[in-house]
Amino acid sequence: MENRPLEYDYTVTKMFMFTTIVLGIVGMLIGVILAFELAFPEVNTILGSGVAEYTNFSRLRPLHTDAVIFGFTLSGIFATWYYVGQRVLKVSMAESGFLMFIGKLHFWLYLVGVAAVVVSLFMGITTSKEYAEFEWPIDIAIVVVWVLFGISIFGLIGIRREKSLYISVWYYIATFLGIAMLYVFNNMEIPTILGTNGIGEAGFGNWWHSVSMYAGTNDALVQWWYGHNAVAFGFTVPIVAMIYYFLPKESGQAIYSYKLSLLSFWGLMFVYLWAGGHHLLYSTVPDWVQTMGSIFSIVLILPSWGSAINMLLTMKGEWQQVASSPLIKFMILASTFYMFSTLEGPIQAIKSVNAIAHFTDWIVGHVHDGTLGWVGFMIMGALFHMAPRVFKREIYSKSLMATQFWIQTLGVVFYFTSMWIAGITQGMMWRAHDEFGNLAYSFIDTVTVLHPYYTLRAIGGTLYLVGFFIFAYNIYRTMSARPVEESELQSASPMGA
Amino acid sequence: MFHWLEKHPFFFAVAVFVMIAFAGLVEILPNFAQASRPLIGTAPYSTLELAGRHVYIKNSCNACHSQLIRPFKSETDRYGHYSRSGEYAYDRPFLWGSKRTGPDLMRVGNYRTTDWHENHMKAPSKIVLDSIMPAFTWMFTNLADINTAYAEQLTVAQFFTVPYNQPVPMKDGSTKVVKMGATLADANALALAEAKVVAADMKDQNVKDAIARGEIPEIVALIAYLNSLK
Amino acid sequence: MNKLYLWGIIMGAVMLVATYFTLVISAGNSGKSISEILSGDIVNALAITGAVALILITIFVVIKYVRQMQTDTANGQLAHENWDGIGEYLNELPMGWSIIFLLTMVWGMWYFIIGYPVNAFSNIGEYNEDVVVHNAKFNEEYKSITGSRLVDMGESVFLAECKVCHGLKADGIDGKAANLNARIEARSVKYVVENGSNNHLLGFESPMPDRNGLFNNNTEALITDAEIDAVSAYVANGMTGAGSDVFAGACAVCHAEDGKGMESVAPNIAAFTPTLVTNVLNHGKKGAIGTMPKFKRLNDKQKEAVGAYITSLSK
Ligand code: HEC
Ligand code: HEC
Ligand code: HEC
Ligand code: HEM
Ligand code: HEM
Ligand SMILES: [Ca+2]
Ligand SMILES: [Ca+2]
Ligand SMILES: [Cu+2]
Repeated sequence: MENRPLEYDYTVTKMFMFTTIVLGIVGMLIGVILAFELAFPEVNTILGSGVAEYTNFSRLRPLHTDAVIFGFTLSGIFATWYYVGQRVLKVSMAESGFLMFIGKLHFWLYLVGVAAVVVSLFMGITTSKEYAEFEWPIDIAIVVVWVLFGISIFGLIGIRREKSLYISVWYYIATFLGIAMLYVFNNMEIPTILGTNGIGEAGFGNWWHSVSMYAGTNDALVQWWYGHNAVAFGFTVPIVAMIYYFLPKESGQAIYSYKLSLLSFWGLMFVYLWAGGHHLLYSTVPDWVQTMGSIFSIVLILPSWGSAINMLLTMKGEWQQVASSPLIKFMILASTFYMFSTLEGPIQAIKSVNAIAHFTDWIVGHVHDGTLGWVGFMIMGALFHMAPRVFKREIYSKSLMATQFWIQTLGVVFYFTSMWIAGITQGMMWRAHDEFGNLAYSFIDTVTVLHPYYTLRAIGGTLYLVGFFIFAYNIYRTMSARPVEESELQSASPMGA
Repeated sequence: MFHWLEKHPFFFAVAVFVMIAFAGLVEILPNFAQASRPLIGTAPYSTLELAGRHVYIKNSCNACHSQLIRPFKSETDRYGHYSRSGEYAYDRPFLWGSKRTGPDLMRVGNYRTTDWHENHMKAPSKIVLDSIMPAFTWMFTNLADINTAYAEQLTVAQFFTVPYNQPVPMKDGSTKVVKMGATLADANALALAEAKVVAADMKDQNVKDAIARGEIPEIVALIAYLNSLK
Repeated sequence: MNKLYLWGIIMGAVMLVATYFTLVISAGNSGKSISEILSGDIVNALAITGAVALILITIFVVIKYVRQMQTDTANGQLAHENWDGIGEYLNELPMGWSIIFLLTMVWGMWYFIIGYPVNAFSNIGEYNEDVVVHNAKFNEEYKSITGSRLVDMGESVFLAECKVCHGLKADGIDGKAANLNARIEARSVKYVVENGSNNHLLGFESPMPDRNGLFNNNTEALITDAEIDAVSAYVANGMTGAGSDVFAGACAVCHAEDGKGMESVAPNIAAFTPTLVTNVLNHGKKGAIGTMPKFKRLNDKQKEAVGAYITSLSK
């Protein structure tokens, strides 16, 4: 028994790989449209002014953020969990009919949730809270999906053969707990239909409409406690879970240092939650909360970099692998962008810097350094690694993979350099007083000056999207290309020419 | 200890949870009660204004516009007095935003007017040359949802004791009563009366016709809301 | 040279050029040099420093570790566990990392427990100080400017505050707001004569009667439709052409023969004056075209300046 390799069951992994790709395309396509709308406002009415209500920037923006976060990223997290979980716990989904059922239910309910989100956001049904736009019926669906995810995690852990939990599992557990706590508290809302029975004419108004439990400053505080940590437990923690598995696995190298893993993990858990105040600098929340936000953001560099350094050092002496494998390139560049954005964030969290950066495109630049460079690259890397194993076929084309890598890298560079210029410029122009002590610029002056950078960003975004299409094509052809040997694949993924 | 935790998933999860729950409690709770007290001069939204606020949210204006004036000379010069916590006491949800693709709107009611908004929402780039704000033409035909706004008023009055039909103190020492209908019909009538005042300053014939028929286009509610931002 | 350093230098150079660009653009037409922008506002200086530090530190650190990939070899003692074939070394923590982590923790605690409370920093406190400094400087440098400098200052206010309604050229954007290149257009005059006016144009409440109170001394009757059209054209044409008799008969009592108004009786309707503009800015104005908002947040000098600018436009 001990020596015979387990037959892992990747049914659920495959399902979520599929949504990762489809929702990735949807989300990024909308992102590109948004970018063009800011550069060329005529694009708002591209399908005619009759349907402009559904194609204009403001209706589409939440669709972009939610499609890439709750669609692309979350699917990627689920897909990798159902893959990594089995393997590092040494237990197959096929061993438990119950977990198999939960896994599939998890997927199908998730799809229902996605459909509800898309329809409602197009209709303009939103609570306005960033990354938590959904009204209460969808909240409930999300909680159910999340509980199923939890059952899958702890169910698999419950029947594990590997007694001690691998680092990636720590991070998946944290993802589950973190999001559960944050989501519930940030979505405390009262359906307004409840208020109507007071006057004996119950049941008017939209049944799905709700009002936040918190008002004003408190609402902001709870929202950004959520928003900041949604980044933590959506864009950081689970992606770190991925890199801790896929990089050593693909390269065949051992993790550089257990101690560094340990300190980075607990450090991250402790420090992250305190830093949310950096979204509220110079607002009406108490000064001390803002100060905490700034300080802990600086401290946060270290546990963040800890993981990144651990990954880079894992590749010590393995330059030939980095040079020859595009898959490893994706992951190395991902850690690099992780380092970049976790230094950029803290710098933007310094109060005086935030005075310039807040509300500007520099923040949007920071967001996409993280999401395109780190989250996107890592998820695509993970899918590339999983594909030959779940489909039992070699990757269709290595050269396409390399092409994709360079196109997307160029795209990210365009994105962040342009937003860097746009953001800092705008921030400084807002503050400028002229030789008479008057405001030097009217607001619109600070908008028109950004046009070239918005155009550049749109081009960068298009490059990234083109790369993503190449990715989708490559995976699609992998599914249909010649099968490789039946034996389990160790380390490096086989790739066709 | 850590090695032990890594072999005991339940305790591992508890340890992680304690670690992450802690910060929220410390940062959010202490100021909770204080932060929800309204500033003198801050009144609840009328039915029409609230319906307009819903239009604002429905169209994600907060994706491009902030409602938070930071205490910098350059911002108070541009937008007026910096924001104070109590001014948001009736804002559920808050609408501070996190991106200023367009200007802050916290006090836009002080320096823009009904007719300007009408022109601007219809075709921003015709009014402000090279504006990248989309035109919101459908608001001139879609009807505002007064019923839902009224349902929200009833809800906040009941659950959060928002003072409708009660005197609220104003800065000059006077008091103001924001009326809320006693019945649904009543609420709709109040909103229509308010809408007539706004529409009187507007030029769009379709809007005027709609108001005459007793219907309230979204744009009227939205402008009532924008005008209330002071 | 190693390709790695080359990439590092290219990336660093690109970002430094980008940062330099931001300074050039934001200097734009504010009439300031780059060094003034940086030295005049500590926030600008800190933001740029942060941006530059961000690039340099990242590039430096990444190169350091990538060099290790190129030259070092993996070693150390392996833990006896392994997961799906992944092993773990029992290597010690990287020294630099541990020290900096420790230092930031200590600094964080110190700052929070001692640094911050002792400093008694407050956003609003800082703001108040800023305003005092700004106002003192304003009073010292601009309080007494006059003439063309005043007009220039007014233009700067106009471009920042007024052009969104009145247009870059102050032409009122196709009738959406008042065209300030001429004192007043015929439809506005007509509207006022028919409906009266109560806009505090004199700085205090002093309404002009509507047509039922406008008596034409020439005809000894209330003003008629034809007369209203005539006088409106006359006023809008800069007090020339037909209609002068109506004006003399019905309006001159208050607005004076030349239309220049009379102190505390009626405003100048032949030309803009800084006082008139200041009154409009203080009280707003509702008329035939639409509603002009109040501008409380401008200070007196700025109002006077923009008044001077507008007055200069129609000359
Ligand atoms: C794509 C971004 C975008 C969206 C979405 C957007 N705006 Fe704007 N908005 C702008 C820009 C840019 C400006 C500045 C130029 C101008 O005045 O048109 C502006 C200006 C304004 C102004 C003038 C404020 C001032 O001080 O001059 C108002 C009022 C306004 N928008 C309201 C709205 C409302 C209400 C919505 C939603 C229904 C909305 N905007 C949606 C970008 C946007
Ligand atoms: C009884 C005195 C009186 C008479 C007679 C009078 N006006 Fe006026 N007029 C005023 C006052 C006072 C104001 C300022 C009202 C205000 O504050 O809005 C004014 C304002 C105006 C304005 C508005 C200027 C602006 O910038 O909007 C116009 C135009 C005007 N008068 C034209 C006329 C004409 C034409 C006549 C004759 C047909 C006339 N007035 C007769 C007292 C008078
Ligand atoms: C929100 C739009 C808006 C803004 C901003 C605005 N105005 Fe106006 N303004 C108007 C409108 C509309 C009118 C025409 C009112 C009428 O007579 O119907 C007007 C009229 C005027 C008049 C003519 C008054 C008269 O007596 O005829 C002056 C002077 C003026 N504005 C100056 C300014 C100055 C100076 C600023 C900037 C500091 C400014 N406005 C900003 C909308 C605006
Ligand atoms: C040490 C780690 C980090 C810190 C201290 C940090 C800090 C910040 C700061 C200060 C802001 C701007 C707030 C504002 O002024 O509006 C911000 C915004 C943001 N960051 Fe980070 N960041 C970090 C890492 C990351 C990473 C790795 C990602 C994603 C992959 C990320 C995603 C975002 C997003 C999405 C926003 C925008 C939030 C909004 O909608 O306003 N951050 N971050
Ligand atoms: C093709 C690639 C992409 C393009 C062109 C793109 C473009 C955009 C644009 C134009 C915005 C709006 C910025 C604004 O309001 O000014 C935006 C916001 C955002 N995008 Fe993307 N995006 C892309 C991919 C992604 C991906 C892959 C993710 C996440 C995994 C992501 C996450 C976000 C987030 C979180 C925001 C909100 C930022 C904020 O509020 O500060 N984007 N994106
Ligand atoms: Ca919700
Ligand atoms: Ca945002
Ligand atoms: Cu954050």
